[in-house]
Amino acid sequence: MDAEPGLSDQYRMASPWPVFVALGIPIAELGIIFGLFPLSVGGLLLFGGSAAGMAFESGYAKTPWRGLFGVAVPLAALGAAFVFTAIDLPDRGIAIAAAAAILAAAGIAGTLFSPTEAPEY
Amino acid sequence: MEVNGQLALTVLMGLFLVAVAAWLARVENWRSYTPVAGGGAFGQKESYGSEEKPSGVIRWLTTVDHKDIGILYGAYGLTAFAVGGLMVVVMRIELIDPGMSLISNTFYNSLMTSHGITMLFLFGTPIIAAFANYLVPLLIGADDMAFPRINAIAFWLLPPAALLIWAGFFPLPNVIPAQTAWTMYTPLSAGAGAGNQANAGVDLMLLGLHLSGVSATMGSINFIATIFTERGDDVSWANLDIFSWTILTQSGLILFAFPLLGSAMVMLLFDRNFGTTFFAGEGGAILWQHLFWFFGHPEVYILVLPPMGIVSYVIPRFSGRRLFGFKFVVYSTLAIGVLSFGVWAHHMFATGMDPRLRASFMAVSLAIAIPSAVKTFNWITTMWNGRVRLTTPMLFCVGFVSNFIIGGVTGVFLASIPIDLVLHDTYYVVGHFHYIVMGAIAFAGFAGLYYWFPLYTGRMYQKTLGKAHFWLSMIGTNVTFFAMILLGYGGMPRRYATFLPQFATLHQVATVGALLLLIGQIIFVWNFVQSWLEGPEVEDGDPWNLRDSGLYTAEWDWYDKKLETAIADGGETDDAAEPMLTDGGDVDDAADE
Amino acid sequence: MANKIFDRDTLLDLTVNVVPLFIMAFFVVAFAVFSPFGIDPLASSIQFGLLAVPFVLLAILTYFAGKAVAGAELRGEVYLPGQAGVRGAEPLEETEHGEAELDAGTSTAAVEGEADERDAADESAASEEETTDEADAGDTNADDDAETEAADDATDDEAN
Ligand code: HEM
Ligand SMILES: [Cu+2]
Repeated sequence: MDAEPGLSDQYRMASPWPVFVALGIPIAELGIIFGLFPLSVGGLLLFGGSAAGMAFESGYAKTPWRGLFGVAVPLAALGAAFVFTAIDLPDRGIAIAAAAAILAAAGIAGTLFSPTEAPEY
Repeated sequence: MEVNGQLALTVLMGLFLVAVAAWLARVENWRSYTPVAGGGAFGQKESYGSEEKPSGVIRWLTTVDHKDIGILYGAYGLTAFAVGGLMVVVMRIELIDPGMSLISNTFYNSLMTSHGITMLFLFGTPIIAAFANYLVPLLIGADDMAFPRINAIAFWLLPPAALLIWAGFFPLPNVIPAQTAWTMYTPLSAGAGAGNQANAGVDLMLLGLHLSGVSATMGSINFIATIFTERGDDVSWANLDIFSWTILTQSGLILFAFPLLGSAMVMLLFDRNFGTTFFAGEGGAILWQHLFWFFGHPEVYILVLPPMGIVSYVIPRFSGRRLFGFKFVVYSTLAIGVLSFGVWAHHMFATGMDPRLRASFMAVSLAIAIPSAVKTFNWITTMWNGRVRLTTPMLFCVGFVSNFIIGGVTGVFLASIPIDLVLHDTYYVVGHFHYIVMGAIAFAGFAGLYYWFPLYTGRMYQKTLGKAHFWLSMIGTNVTFFAMILLGYGGMPRRYATFLPQFATLHQVATVGALLLLIGQIIFVWNFVQSWLEGPEVEDGDPWNLRDSGLYTAEWDWYDKKLETAIADGGETDDAAEPMLTDGGDVDDAADE
Repeated sequence: MANKIFDRDTLLDLTVNVVPLFIMAFFVVAFAVFSPFGIDPLASSIQFGLLAVPFVLLAILTYFAGKAVAGAELRGEVYLPGQAGVRGAEPLEETEHGEAELDAGTSTAAVEGEADERDAADESAASEEETTDEADAGDTNADDDAETEAADDATDDEAN
């Protein structure tokens, strides 16, 4: 948490992430209920990315990239559950899994290529 | 959905995400950008903000300060109160005359559904969260909530929730408002049959409700953690204030009740969209009622406990003495918390359930009336022979007690099976719970808004307008809802857009009462906004003269400190440029209380 | 340990929850004796469960809450609720000037614990009667009210 100047370093009582975490959830829910692939994926990305950013900002994750894995893994599990269990909603499951994959990919890319720069999308 | 639509959505979503990312990147690199002046969209002077928060709108979007979040909750709750209130005004006008055709029956049902949900979930819960967020950390000597960011998330889930809940009223193609009533009984809400409730508007409403539940749950976890772990050194269980106690209990109730509602709604969404049959058939309908009311009854106590806390907190300050039997109030709050989970089926006495179970639910419902009554006696005894100062917040507290008695007594009657079988689903029930939700919960909200007005605005409201607000609300509430109780005795069923001619007079009385309420609330808004912007500034941290009676509390002390640091030029408190400002409620004092 | 924390005052405070407990117990007995709708293995066990579960949970919660509150009284300074954070706040025994006797009595019990406890409780019970009588004699002066209230409230004085 050293060379990452940002809003939350300067302003102790502000964080840009919560709004987007909160926005990601309804978008994802809408997408999943109505079977709108782009909304599901986009909402989950917004949610996952922001949650990771927040976890990093508040010190729960060492790097934002690790936070992304932290979100991607449960999402992947959820997606798999949608596809393979009695829930049996493969389209939605794939959307969730896709979001998980993108988040994980971003995490990998981040770890490999840009160890210093923060915002991931 | 056809390919084109998908494509368009994908592009839109992508653009949106890119925009968000760009904005975040900019904001997160804002070290170079130094705001010129503090101060946000609200009129309050920032004595603390400028180095800790950015300025302008960004400040409100990014804040994780419990006080700011409290203000946001408050603004949100009052907005929802206005929306829900205007909805019901339209309904009451429709009910002036049985032949009235201002709105269609379906639109009436839509308004009714939205009114209930808006008032309970978008006004009630958030306005309580407003007080809790602002005050609990101050009262218990914490720097902030235990999880400030979660706190912000919990708030920001609410605006989307409101949009989804009201989605049917927006001009969206093929989306109509839900008409399920707030109880969302199946099979209607499952979209079965020939009705129009298979519409996506109901799904959107359920999603919105689900979000508000997630929000409430996050908030409750935060409050529990805060009250357990963040108390100041001197704040022990033995001297925790009553408002924090009620918030703690309420949070416990939320923690057990809302996730259940959330799960039940997900099941309902599955029934509606993915062909499951959790709530199909007769058994399914009863299952829904059990799940709903297992949440629903605790919900009414979730809504009433913190207002009871506010009243228990404010009454002593204007009675010149401490709360009578403080610990009785604490323990009975906890008792209500536990017992509220044991009475849910008193909403289902008429469903034909096994009489043995029904009897048990009746017994627990009678038992839960005791702790509520105990509190009532404590409030009355506190005022008894006290030096009562009838300031506006105090008036609202007294109104609370009065209305709560009527609401509570009618509730005990409803809890008796034979009486309920006669009165169930009549206006009596509507009268009962409005005496509590409007007459008590909203009144306590107003009491709090007036009492702490100097704390969060730094200014004083206008006394005369405050009193006018109180009296119009008090008379309006009693006219409206007592008429409803009488209507119920007469057999007028609830949830209809019209009625038989013999009910006309009482319905007209109720409508007149509702219009009185409307006028009162308009005065409130005027007073609130104008005083916030240009009311006389409060000069010291004791606007209610609590120090004299030894009833000064931590939140005012915090405010006092804040004033002292802000006025570094040494404006002492005792030279009191305008004594009436600080004059906590001499009744004959002209300027304000 | 238990009787150390649950002194007479605390038990008196807890009576408020004993009343609903009693009502539920009453109905358990009533339903067992009269069983107006007959006995059916499933329905009757749910019937009694619906009374027994809240009873047990309420008893447990009341016990722990009483323990937490009374324990905190023994361990630390007690302020008026909401006043602990006020700068320069005085713990309870010093805030009351007029009622030295009464307050000294009970607060000592609260702070010092076991040894003086029983005496102090008695003392306060005694002064409770006195003050109540006084006030009943029709004195409506505010100070006396505070006093009456403190005494009337048969709880610890810091209860207020
Ligand atoms: C303390 C705050 C209270 C609130 C906020 C409250 C709220 C409500 C609400 C919203 C309903 C209507 C539910 C519906 O839509 O059908 C209701 C009904 C009912 N309330 Fe209350 N209530 C309160 C206290 C009580 C008390 C103390 C009792 C009795 C011990 C009670 C007994 C009942 C009963 C039996 C019904 C069902 C009536 C029926 O549908 O036939 N309530 N209450
Ligand atoms: Cu109920």
